[in-house]
Amino acid sequence: MKAPSLATTKWRNEAQLTENATILEDLIAEKCDQDEFTPRIAQVKGKIMSEQTVTAEASASRLEAFTRAFNRGRQHWRTRQHLLDTDDLTPGELASITDVATEAKKILKAGDAPLSVLHTRTIATAFYENSTRTRSSFELAARRLGATLLNLDVASSSVVKGETIIDTSKTLLSMGVQALIQRHSASGSARQMARELGDRLHLINAGDGWNAHPTQALLDYFTMSEVRGSLNGAKIAIVGDLKHSRVARSNIRLLTRCGAMVHTAGPPTLTPIDLGKMGVIVHSKVEPAIENADFVMVLRIQLERQKQGLIPSIGEYRRLYRIDSARMRLAKPEARVLHPGPMNRDVEISDELAECSEKSLITTQVTNGVAVRMAVLYLLLGE
Amino acid sequence: MTLVQGMLLKNVLLIDPSRQLEYQGDLRVQGNTIVEEGKSLSSQSNEDLIDGTGMWVVPGLIDMHTHMRDLGQRDKEDLHSGTKAAAAGGFTTVIAMANTEPPLDGGAIFAMYLQRIRERAVVDVLPVACVTKGMRGEELTNMVELSEAGAIAFSDDGVTIQNMAVLRRALEYVQLTGKLIISHAEDQDMVEGGVINEGFVSTRMGLPGRPAAAEAIAVARELELVRMTNSPYHFTHLSTARAVELIRQAKRDGLPVTADATPHHLSLSTDAIVEFDTHLKMNPPLRDEQDKQAIIAGLIDGTIDAIATDHAPHTRLDKSGMFAECPVGIIGLETAFAISSKALLNKLGRLKFFALFTINPARILDLPEPSLQRNSPASFAVIDPERIWTYDPLEGFSRSRNTPYAREQFKGKVVMTVHKGNRVYEDSAFKERRERVGTHEG
Repeated sequence: MKAPSLATTKWRNEAQLTENATILEDLIAEKCDQDEFTPRIAQVKGKIMSEQTVTAEASASRLEAFTRAFNRGRQHWRTRQHLLDTDDLTPGELASITDVATEAKKILKAGDAPLSVLHTRTIATAFYENSTRTRSSFELAARRLGATLLNLDVASSSVVKGETIIDTSKTLLSMGVQALIQRHSASGSARQMARELGDRLHLINAGDGWNAHPTQALLDYFTMSEVRGSLNGAKIAIVGDLKHSRVARSNIRLLTRCGAMVHTAGPPTLTPIDLGKMGVIVHSKVEPAIENADFVMVLRIQLERQKQGLIPSIGEYRRLYRIDSARMRLAKPEARVLHPGPMNRDVEISDELAECSEKSLITTQVTNGVAVRMAVLYLLLGE
Repeated sequence: MTLVQGMLLKNVLLIDPSRQLEYQGDLRVQGNTIVEEGKSLSSQSNEDLIDGTGMWVVPGLIDMHTHMRDLGQRDKEDLHSGTKAAAAGGFTTVIAMANTEPPLDGGAIFAMYLQRIRERAVVDVLPVACVTKGMRGEELTNMVELSEAGAIAFSDDGVTIQNMAVLRRALEYVQLTGKLIISHAEDQDMVEGGVINEGFVSTRMGLPGRPAAAEAIAVARELELVRMTNSPYHFTHLSTARAVELIRQAKRDGLPVTADATPHHLSLSTDAIVEFDTHLKMNPPLRDEQDKQAIIAGLIDGTIDAIATDHAPHTRLDKSGMFAECPVGIIGLETAFAISSKALLNKLGRLKFFALFTINPARILDLPEPSLQRNSPASFAVIDPERIWTYDPLEGFSRSRNTPYAREQFKGKVVMTVHKGNRVYEDSAFKERRERVGTHEG
């Protein structure tokens, strides 16, 4: 356990050392009096070496905690092949994501060097639909764990030349990829792909159409749990375009199972029929949904919904559904606001609320996204 | 396919809806004609003797709605494979829809299709011609020319004529032909790219929905045009309770309207759609349980006149696409009887049940009524009502396998189909039995 961790921390300290040495060398060059500085150089070097030891030890203990969390969680994940949605996660699986992600977050915060726990694994990402943050987040998570990462460039890939996405996946499989992180605009694409691939590869759904985006829901869950502990009995409002939102669906499936009271609010034209049967309380007005809420999750509104005739204007949408500090006063005093990004500032969320560090969890969500994805990848692929 | 020189079917239950008659008896065929029916016919030396104890014999079934493909889509189905599948389902007449590739919207392509039918088909194929050129819902086809060439009816099936002025002209002009228009009624604006019925299932799966109201709206406005023009009009593959109710009322009002429904809409509902199985994606989509019950009720009270399969073959590759993107439809010829009888036979009784597949579509389309009477064409199906069997589309005759009924167990199976004296289908177990008994007696 110790040996690899020292090896990984070495990278960072060597860089520091090199930097300090360069500064010293510059000073030497200026003074042109090497003798005077030689003892000083030795002094600085010594100091760095002792700091290095302390850093390495802290870093090693973080890695150890991370690995211990993984070892506790792996029994729950042993039978899991794919992560397609949140509806079939067992309580044990869910708890171990939180457990491992908590340790992963400490590693990220400390800025430790990349680990090597997945150094034997090859992970591919295939995003058939545009994405910046989810893809980057997965990419960072995979690199932090030491996996070999292959980013399929869909725009210039054979998909454009007419290959089916199933063939693309089979090609990746034949190249020895062990996990595929996929996003596609068709609802059900992850499940259909998983059915094709069976147990030959781990499929991680990074978003399929309007259906599911499990890692987003998991990072939202993790973020809210950090604030409140258990979400049992928490009132969580989800506000916006519910009809077209995979984030909403995966969150609803997960949060209702955790005992949260989920309330939705959105224009009737953007609220899918019978949404209440998913176990939520449906409102068309925003006020009753956020009243006394512990958390308010704001969904992104696609600006083209206006052209589709689903909302009369962005102005009216803003007036009726934008979450701002005034509306947040309806929620509990300690209530927090989340947004999966990317935000349309001053459309679905006010700029000042997004910037308000006491209320907004938005930047935490982004950091937690990497930690949660590290946990998911480690638990699915770790040995 | 072998021409039956002479055949005597002994001890079968003859079921003949054209005469409202069923009785235990024998049926004699010579060449392409039924020459004798009755009790205790004596065997002659120049004919095959088939002991049909326990079997039913019904006049050759008619399917008012199939997609035989061919032309540019022979990888999905051609007129040989499609009609072989029809024969295996007991059908000796199928109506072929006009949305081929290219569509049957002009004299030349229609003539070419007829030529393909003559060359390839093993049962009667009566093609429909398009109502509008390119099925674009704008300009009428040369309806009279197409009718004279042999179009059995007109339809832009697959899409709905959205412009009521165009449909009005079609209903007026079609009177020159004496043929009827078959409507796929679903408001296209309301459909908006939907892929399954709009309801909890579409919400749960995050799929765009097709509202049931889209069908009722189209049926309602089209009925007003029928009221206005008094032209005969047929609604195909009804799927919603409201549409059934609208047609029930229209019939009460005396409008010249008829309707059919598919075996899948009377046996499956949206609850059957699990896990994005593309074999459950059809158009119109599966609807709610109460819609399914309304279809069954409509068939029982005569609001819906016929069962038609909407046999819609697609290749494995077509159907392996993503649910939201892949083409709609399922094959249905080989399972139509079994699925429908499970839902309806006990409720309707045999004569009424088989009327849905024989005399009712014949009357709608102005075809001779299929019959087992002496001097009728020797076109009939032999059914083993007790046979328990498991459907395996891989063993079927259709070139495509897109069906949600794979591995389903059924009771009652078509075991032999004779078309104008040709044995166009025979179940292997039945054949074995026939030959064994035949040898024994011969």
